[in-house]
Amino acid sequence: MSVLARSVGNAFRNKVRTAAVVAVLAVAIGLALAMLVANQAVGAKVQELNASVGTVLTVNPAGGQGFEGGGEPLTAEQAATAADVPNVTAVVGTKALRLRNAAEAAAQAAAGTQAGPGGGQGGPGGQTTTTLTTILTAAVDAGTLGARNQDSSGTTAATGSTGSTGTTATTQPARALPITATGTGAEVDSTGKALELTSGTGLGDYTAESTKALLGTTLAEKNNLKVGSTFTINSKTFTVAGLFDAGTAFGNNALYVTLPTAQTLAELPGELSTMIVTVDSMENVDAAKTALQNALGTDKADVTQGQRNLETAVTSLDSVKNISMVAFIAALGTAGLIILLIMVMLVRERRREIGVLKAIGAPNRTICLQFVLEALVLVALGSVVGAVLASFASGGIASALVSSSTGTTAAPAGQRGGGFAGAAGGLPGGQGGPFGGASQLLTSVTASVSPGILAAGIAAVFGVAIIGALVPALLTARIRPIEVLRGE
Amino acid sequence: MIEVKDLVRTFKSGDRTIKPVNGVSFELGQGTLASIVGKSGSGKSTLLSLLGALDKPTSGDVVVNGVSLAGMPDGKLTEYRRRDIGFVFQQFNLVPNLSALDNVMLPMEFAGVRKSVRAERARALLEQVQLDPDKHGRRINRLSGGEQQRVAIARALANEPKLILADEPTGNLDEQTGEHIIALLSSLSRDHNTTILVVTHDRTLANKTDRRFRLQQGKLTEEPVRGRAAEPAAV
Ligand SMILES: Nc1ncnc2c1ncn2[C@@H]1O[C@H](COP(=O)(O)OP(=O)(O)O)[C@@H](O)[C@H]1O
Ligand SMILES: [Mg+2]
Repeated sequence: MSVLARSVGNAFRNKVRTAAVVAVLAVAIGLALAMLVANQAVGAKVQELNASVGTVLTVNPAGGQGFEGGGEPLTAEQAATAADVPNVTAVVGTKALRLRNAAEAAAQAAAGTQAGPGGGQGGPGGQTTTTLTTILTAAVDAGTLGARNQDSSGTTAATGSTGSTGTTATTQPARALPITATGTGAEVDSTGKALELTSGTGLGDYTAESTKALLGTTLAEKNNLKVGSTFTINSKTFTVAGLFDAGTAFGNNALYVTLPTAQTLAELPGELSTMIVTVDSMENVDAAKTALQNALGTDKADVTQGQRNLETAVTSLDSVKNISMVAFIAALGTAGLIILLIMVMLVRERRREIGVLKAIGAPNRTICLQFVLEALVLVALGSVVGAVLASFASGGIASALVSSSTGTTAAPAGQRGGGFAGAAGGLPGGQGGPFGGASQLLTSVTASVSPGILAAGIAAVFGVAIIGALVPALLTARIRPIEVLRGE
Repeated sequence: MIEVKDLVRTFKSGDRTIKPVNGVSFELGQGTLASIVGKSGSGKSTLLSLLGALDKPTSGDVVVNGVSLAGMPDGKLTEYRRRDIGFVFQQFNLVPNLSALDNVMLPMEFAGVRKSVRAERARALLEQVQLDPDKHGRRINRLSGGEQQRVAIARALANEPKLILADEPTGNLDEQTGEHIIALLSSLSRDHNTTILVVTHDRTLANKTDRRFRLQQGKLTEEPVRGRAAEPAAV
């Protein structure tokens, strides 16, 4: 019989008490693990959000943020001014165009309806968008939401401009959403993210006119286009140089040409829809934003941080992260305290037996080790049950934490959810539906229990348990062998 | 082999000082079976605990085979108890949730005896104290008092000690079982040449030992005995 075997045996001496101790430990350990998992999940989310906020600033014409747009377009000179702002490493101009299928546009015109502005108005920059025709067919059907959106906005536009009441949906042919064409000064999308090419090559010199274009994968597929295929925009022929994957259906219903090409197509040379300004580091983003705003003038341009709206989400998630860390430490401490108290009780209860062991020559360290091991047996059982509890509870705990602390953010998100769908036809990227985007990111905090985190958590539990058990175990050294005669 | 020099142990009880052991000196040779008698509370257990290094004397010394216990560090005293002493208590003091075999193996485990040797030796010892072989693996709390005391004696013998200290080993047993236990101790001291010091209330048992001491008012006096040489070796 070894020390370990004796410890295991001792742990089960009083089965009812062992069960009770294991149950209490399991709750504390389960809570600790669930909190650790929640902390990791939220931490990963915060990092993801921070990365998506990134170091990119977006410059739009002043007043251009509204749905109907306004203000003066941005110019090449402003781009040069922006480039001179300290800490700015790159300025990329973009020119947004909206493409409608030529045949469909003709059919709609014949049906007496206006080609409505579509669902795309949500995106900044939409106000300076020029609509052109193309041979391409959009890869995204308007669907119910899109049709409703197009219908209602079409009606609004009609009322405002022609005074005629809107036509009913039944008389309209099925519509596809417009295709977004963006002239870009670099191989980035309109949020400043590098385009992910899945085949072909880039456009080469993005500052020169060219007849090459990059197509979203779904758009290319819908139109049976491959690298090297040709298509037309406003009767001008373009060659597909490469395909990209933006990761979303809307993002892939788009194409990119070089900036001068788009400016020529729109017949607005030198004019920009937006400027994507990259700052050298996260710390300098706020300062650079202010400097950029001052350099361009508040009456001329609006500077926004990419996905600025996520900041509240990040802040509230950060507090959830802190709360869960505090709760993890508290639950861990509780587990340690439970072990400490149980072991103090056991040592007191077995005073005489410890005396017996000492009388027959057990060294202090053997007795100490025996008690620590006994505590670890209890902790191991508690950890197993606790880990099972945690794997069931951590998802619920994480989402409860997130929803309770971000409740104020989440509520309007739900109400404006419709705006997300409608705006999605605009520029690719999340800017069109700030609240919708945030809500999606928040609810996607999934607390999946990874074995690595569980292992780390259990290691921490054992560390605390050893400390908790060591105190009473070391006290056994002070029990004198004469205790064996007590009560005789 | 054991030499006790002017041993004193005092206890403070409120404002009174109790002196159960107050200047005790004696010597015992190897292989002697000796008894200590005395009234309850006269200090017999206190004296035994000093000899076995369970407790430290207020003054005086115990010298075992030329080695003095006075001033020995605790670690060395533990080693002394493990190697040189075997205890047998009135209340057996076995580990209740372990088997008879495991209890006998405990002192060997502490002494670092190899596992295979331990089990073999423990079995031999349990046979020697005449514990029924099918009770070797039985948990202590499922053995009778006499059986428990046999296991305790086997445990005391585990590391082949030079001195066995038995504190009223028959106190919790009926007369007949007690006689068996004393006979067992007697034969062990003869067969193993082990020195045994046994505290007992039983006059007849005390009479069967080689030497008999009486503890009275803190002092130890030797009394004449018939001795066991006359007795037949009954086990
Ligand atoms: N730890 C102690 N503290 C105070 N008094 C003690 C202690 N141990 C023993 N005594 C006292 O010493 C005396 C002798 O006790 P003990 O050696 O147990 O007697 P015996 O074994 O002969 O019956 C008793 O009066 C007892 O109360
Ligand atoms: Mg006594």
